[in-house]
Amino acid sequence: MIRPFAVLAAALVLVAPVTATAALPAPGGATVVDLGDARAYVEPDATVALTGLELFVRAGLDRQEDRQNGLAALVAQSVLRTPVDGVPLADAVEARGGSVTFAVAAQYARFYLEARPEQIGPLADLVARALHAPSFDPATLAAARRELGDRIADAQSDPRLVGLDMLRGSYYRDGAGAPALGTPQTLLALGTADAAAFYAHWYVRGDAFVTAVGRTGPADESGSRALVDALAPGNAPDGALAIRPLTAQPKRLVTHRDDVYSPYVVIGFEAPALGDRDFPAALVIRAILSDLFKQDQATVRPFVFRPIGSIYGYDADPAQLALWLNGSEVEPQVGLAALDALVKAAAEKPLEAAVLARYRQRARGEWALESLSLDERAWSIGNAVAHGLNADASAQVGAAIDEVTAADVERVAKKWFQRFDVALVLPRGDGG
Amino acid sequence: MTLAGFAPRAALVAALLVSGLPGAARAQAAPAAMPTGTLPGGVSYELRPDATQSATAIALWYRAPAGGFGEPAIPGFSALAADTVAASAGLTGTSLGELVDGFGGVLSVAVYPDSVSVTAVVPPERASAVVRAMTGAYFAPVVTDDGFQVGLRETGQDALVRSFDPSDAIENALGASLFATGPLHDGTIPAAGAFKGIDAAQVRTFAERAFRPSNAILVLTGAVDAGVLSGVANRPEVSTAGSEPPAPQTAQPSPRPSAAPIVANATGVGLGWVGPPIADEESATALDFLADALFAPHTGLVTRAVADRKVSVSGKFVTYHSAGVFLVTLSGDDVPAAVPIVEQTIARAVKPLAPAAFAAAKAGFVYRLLGDMETPGEIADTYGWYAVEGDAAYAPAEGGTAGRYFALADALTPQSVARVAARYLGGAPATVTLIKAQTKASPT
Repeated sequence: MIRPFAVLAAALVLVAPVTATAALPAPGGATVVDLGDARAYVEPDATVALTGLELFVRAGLDRQEDRQNGLAALVAQSVLRTPVDGVPLADAVEARGGSVTFAVAAQYARFYLEARPEQIGPLADLVARALHAPSFDPATLAAARRELGDRIADAQSDPRLVGLDMLRGSYYRDGAGAPALGTPQTLLALGTADAAAFYAHWYVRGDAFVTAVGRTGPADESGSRALVDALAPGNAPDGALAIRPLTAQPKRLVTHRDDVYSPYVVIGFEAPALGDRDFPAALVIRAILSDLFKQDQATVRPFVFRPIGSIYGYDADPAQLALWLNGSEVEPQVGLAALDALVKAAAEKPLEAAVLARYRQRARGEWALESLSLDERAWSIGNAVAHGLNADASAQVGAAIDEVTAADVERVAKKWFQRFDVALVLPRGDGG
Repeated sequence: MTLAGFAPRAALVAALLVSGLPGAARAQAAPAAMPTGTLPGGVSYELRPDATQSATAIALWYRAPAGGFGEPAIPGFSALAADTVAASAGLTGTSLGELVDGFGGVLSVAVYPDSVSVTAVVPPERASAVVRAMTGAYFAPVVTDDGFQVGLRETGQDALVRSFDPSDAIENALGASLFATGPLHDGTIPAAGAFKGIDAAQVRTFAERAFRPSNAILVLTGAVDAGVLSGVANRPEVSTAGSEPPAPQTAQPSPRPSAAPIVANATGVGLGWVGPPIADEESATALDFLADALFAPHTGLVTRAVADRKVSVSGKFVTYHSAGVFLVTLSGDDVPAAVPIVEQTIARAVKPLAPAAFAAAKAGFVYRLLGDMETPGEIADTYGWYAVEGDAAYAPAEGGTAGRYFALADALTPQSVARVAARYLGGAPATVTLIKAQTKASPT
């Protein structure tokens, strides 16, 4: 059954007695290794059998110019397709017992290499060879476009991500607001010269850094050094992300899709980034908003059966928090009205103590589960460093959530959550 | 809210509910420090802490047929019971599902032909509370009407999702082609309407038998210490009943191609072979390796052989107590053209791989296996699976790369793998073909 909003707001109680916190050692802090022109941030975990190295390069979406949508991803994908010993880098790494992947975000491109400790050095050397001399010839670009095309198709079949793309495009200016992987059409327009120029301009070691996690040792330091040294020396000018301020009247964006079978409403808020003093309270508000319309449930539900969920893009500064409403589970207009009422109510009076305690608890738990796999842990450290924070900043958020007050929630709701844009992702025709 | 059939069970429930409270009188006596053991109430446990993790996984694994203990089997019945118990609030007024959700954690139920698992991933400071609540909930299962309705809904949703997944749907269908009787024959995905006529009392009867402490394997991984074991609930009334015996699996006398395509939500073709039992660790490891060598993304022999086709191919060996299964699924537009290519590539596995190719395949196999054991939840799954199938010491997570599983993997040779392939994959496979229902042609 659906729990009505009024009941949720008026009579929240703790679902269980709060038990004493167990005395457990905190996750180990990261140590900093000087690589010459750059740094590595190392967080060892001797209980796992693998090592992860992640190279962060300041070559994200915001480095793209007009008509370059997809270039950051095409360049990164081409690095993975660059022949090494006669086969594409990704295959060469896999054949030696490892994996290498990439992701592009608003500001950074990152390459994640994972392998057994004894392999991480040799595999980092392979990746370094590709980074030192990436191939952007027509054949490599064509293969990279095909692989990106598969990923784009996957993302476009998820109405939440379609809505998120629309909101990002509306919120972030210039390249940072473009679809992260481009579109099949924009990728076709990009060629060898574009990719080579982008790489030469932005893949420089002065802006790069490495995170190392898992079973670390001497090999990951030499591996980190190899990755950084493969890049050209120098720095590129940094720049803050530009946004379009949200307006009091929500901007409405609409799209109709063939492969979407029920309507989704995605609501985008400007939100504090990691490191912002409002970030912990924003996580508490996220927990409150995500609880709206939640049904009685035994186990976590596939998203197609969930009425509401959130995607917090705190890898960018300013950040964006998107909430999605599943039109097959909650009537979109009703959901939107309830959400609007809730954020207004949150900004007008402080939460009751029991309500605050409940959602601090939930927010803290959700935060603890954000970074569990090695690649997530590598990213978590790197995201903090990318924001100019201490490498352990993410690990300290949990304790900060415990300190959030009702006044904090009220203030943050007022500051960040009163304006939003709305993306409607609708089935074409009669849906499914 | 009503408690379905609560009154007759009041004494049992009352005896167990103390487990949900601090200082439970019926909780297990003393924390144990050994990584593997059995608590006084008969609960087996596997405790593998990793203090560097930011979360804890708490899992209960049970040997129990997915179709229930009675005849005829109803696929997915064990999931219905596990979901219902998780959704039912006992006298504390809070269900396990609500408790874990309120902690910001994730609770999941997974159903397999001969076992079912319940796993909570929670922040470390909530581990004690969840251990108490989970063992209390399952060792003395309360089934409420509301919980039963939630269980029906969620089991139905999960079945619907799985029925549209080609791999899940094909593997489910292959069981009946490979085995004449037993849990794999019966499958795990219920048909639409399969639970019609089932009532809460039947669910409770199953839950009381399947989820009893002496049939439980409690797995604790991530940031956790032995102290939480003192919160495990007890159930003295049935603690001497022992664990469920492994369900017998009777293989089909000969591989059985499906007589006609099966109408389903997903489309594709499945190939299956009966493999060795878990006791034959060397052969099971060889087939794990071979499945990876054939179907690894990008570099697998089959993967490369069909790279230019519009087809998605996957393959795996699944280790069971009685007889393992080697399963291959194909889906996509080019399935008809891809099937003979896949069969030919597998047939060539009876000949030893060249040394260099073998070494590369082994390096990839070891890496991917280790990569599947990074998070507390993944590690708990590994221990749970091998423990419930009767060979916890063979779990790949046990001992890391110095453990028994990886020692066996390290000892594999091109010749030994080829011998195992010839023995188990040398014959014709069972096959199934899934098609979608024909839609009626429009009169216009």
